[in-house]
Parts: sequence; C-alpha cells; structure tokens
Amino acid sequence: MAGDQKPPSAGGPGDYPSGAGQGWTALSYLIGGMLVWGFIGWLVDHWLDTGGIATGIGVVLGMAGGIILVVRRLGTPT
Amino acid sequence: MFGQANVLAQGQAEFPPSVSDFYLPSILPWGAENSFWFTKITAMVWIAVGILIIFFLASYRNPQLVPTKKQWFAESIYGFVRNNIAVDMIGHAGVRFAPYFTTLFCFILLTNFFAIVPFFQISPNSHIAFPALLAAITYVMFNYVGIRHHGFVKYFKNSLVPPAPWYILPLLIPIEFFSTFLVRPFSLAVRLFANMFAGHMLLLVFTLGGFAMISANAWLAPVSVLSWVMTIALTFLEFLVIVLQAYVFTVLTASYVQGALAEEH
Repeated sequence: MAGDQKPPSAGGPGDYPSGAGQGWTALSYLIGGMLVWGFIGWLVDHWLDTGGIATGIGVVLGMAGGIILVVRRLGTPT
Repeated sequence: MFGQANVLAQGQAEFPPSVSDFYLPSILPWGAENSFWFTKITAMVWIAVGILIIFFLASYRNPQLVPTKKQWFAESIYGFVRNNIAVDMIGHAGVRFAPYFTTLFCFILLTNFFAIVPFFQISPNSHIAFPALLAAITYVMFNYVGIRHHGFVKYFKNSLVPPAPWYILPLLIPIEFFSTFLVRPFSLAVRLFANMFAGHMLLLVFTLGGFAMISANAWLAPVSVLSWVMTIALTFLEFLVIVLQAYVFTVLTASYVQGALAEEH
C-alpha cells in the first residue's frame, strides 16, 4: 500500500506514544480508586454519622487500591 | 451566517459569549424558534457523512496499481489507521477492526475540522450528543467483542478480577468496575466534547471580545487587533487539538478493544 512507504516517524499525530491507552488506564485507576472508595466512605459517613472520618479512610484506601491496580495490571512487561 | 456578520459589524454581538451561542437557528423550518430538528449542526453532520462516502467511493471506484493522487490519499489514511492504530494497539487481530476505526477517525476528524472552516466555524462535536453516541458505539463494541471472544463469564472475570491476592480483591473489584465500565464511555465522550466546546468558546471570546472593545472605546482599537491576532493563533492551536482528539478517540477505542480481547493477565 502506498502509505506503507512512509518512514514510521514522519511527524504529525503518529508520533503520539502508542502507550496512550495505558496512560489513560492508569489515570482512570488512580482517580477511580479515590472516587469509588471515597463515595463508599461517604455513604458510611452518612449511615454512622462519623463526620468525615470514613470518607477520609475510604479515599486513602482507594488510592492504595488504585496504585495496586496500576502495578498489577500495567507493571508487568508483556 | 451572514446575519452573524451583520451583527458583528454593527457591534451588537453579545459579550461574553454563552452556551446559547452553540444553539444555532433552525434551518427547516427557516428561523423557527426553539426548533432543533434541522439546524446548521445537523446539516454539517450530513455533509460530513456525504463527503466521506463520496470521497471513499470515488477514490476506490477505479483502483490503479500505481495509485492516483486521490487513491493515494485515501489509502494513506486507511493505511495509517490500520498500521499505526489498529495493528499497533491490537496486533494482527486488529486488521478486521481497521475499517470501523478508519470510519470513526475520518468522521471525527472531519466534523472536528468544521470548527475552523470558514462559514462552518463550529464543530458538531461541541454538542455532547455526537461524542456521546460515538462513545456508546465504542462501549457496546468492546463489550460485545470481549463477550464473543471469551464468553460472558470469562470476559467479566478477566476484566473485573485483577491478578492479586484474594484478600485485596474486595478493594480492587469496585475500582475495576468503576474505571472499566462506568468511566470509559463517559471520559471518551467528555474528552472530545469538552475540547471542541472549549475551542469554539475560546475563538468566540477573542473574536467577540475584539468587537466589544472596539465598540466600547475607540482607544482600545489596538487591543482589539491584538485580540484578533490571538484568534488566528488560536485557530492554529485548534487545528492541533482537532487532529489530536480524532486520533486519541480512535486510539482509545482500539485500546479498549485490545483490553477486551486480551488473554488472562
């Protein structure tokens, strides 16, 4: 095909790193972790009237979970 | 469009621009209030679809071994998406997704590009409906492909249960569910929409701001000119964003399909 003859890095958007998908995945794990467990903590807060402590614990747990997920899912070379 | 130009010339344009500037007047019925069935946005989407169909049909109607210019262009786009997106992200199994990815890439690229084409000057993708539908197609596609490849139970086990000791799984599975099945379509749609929305808004602010200043006080004319120069510079920035967002949307779709097809981690 005619397009095949171009050198692989001809400039333009093709130079965007192909690991872009992994980057977004990592970001969504880190943010998602905080949001999910923060939300669960917030629910627990409202349930038990703990005044924000459960939300804090949830956010920290979620951060830890997000980091574990990034390491486990994306850390090992394929 | 020409009404817009008149308004600008008379210095009546509202400043600052607002969301209502994205809701263009109805074309059919002409000028009707609060009728959004056929507006400039609708027309642009159909024009984009028409251009793409005609272009690809015409450039492949009479294929040559030594490609003509048009054929070379069409083949370059397809080759770029197939080799640099589909095969790069998914591998050999990606070739069968290349036609859809090419359609997706071209459609987003063209509809985004309307944002800086004179007289079009707004992208349909600055209305969230269009990115949302495209993201929904991606969402259905990667789930369907994954379920068909792995079977229902194995697919969800693959995508929800990370390789980790059992005692932290309760912590991880909700995060996996959230980031794979809830955030993905949302972020895909919002990323494209917000980029096109913000781009159009920026151009509006700098163009209308120039008019607002020059009609408020003639001494501000140099600042107005500066503002319009900024508009031109931002148009080039817009072009970068347009190409990048079309590329990112396609790459992320490919990456989700790849994730759905991946074997156990």
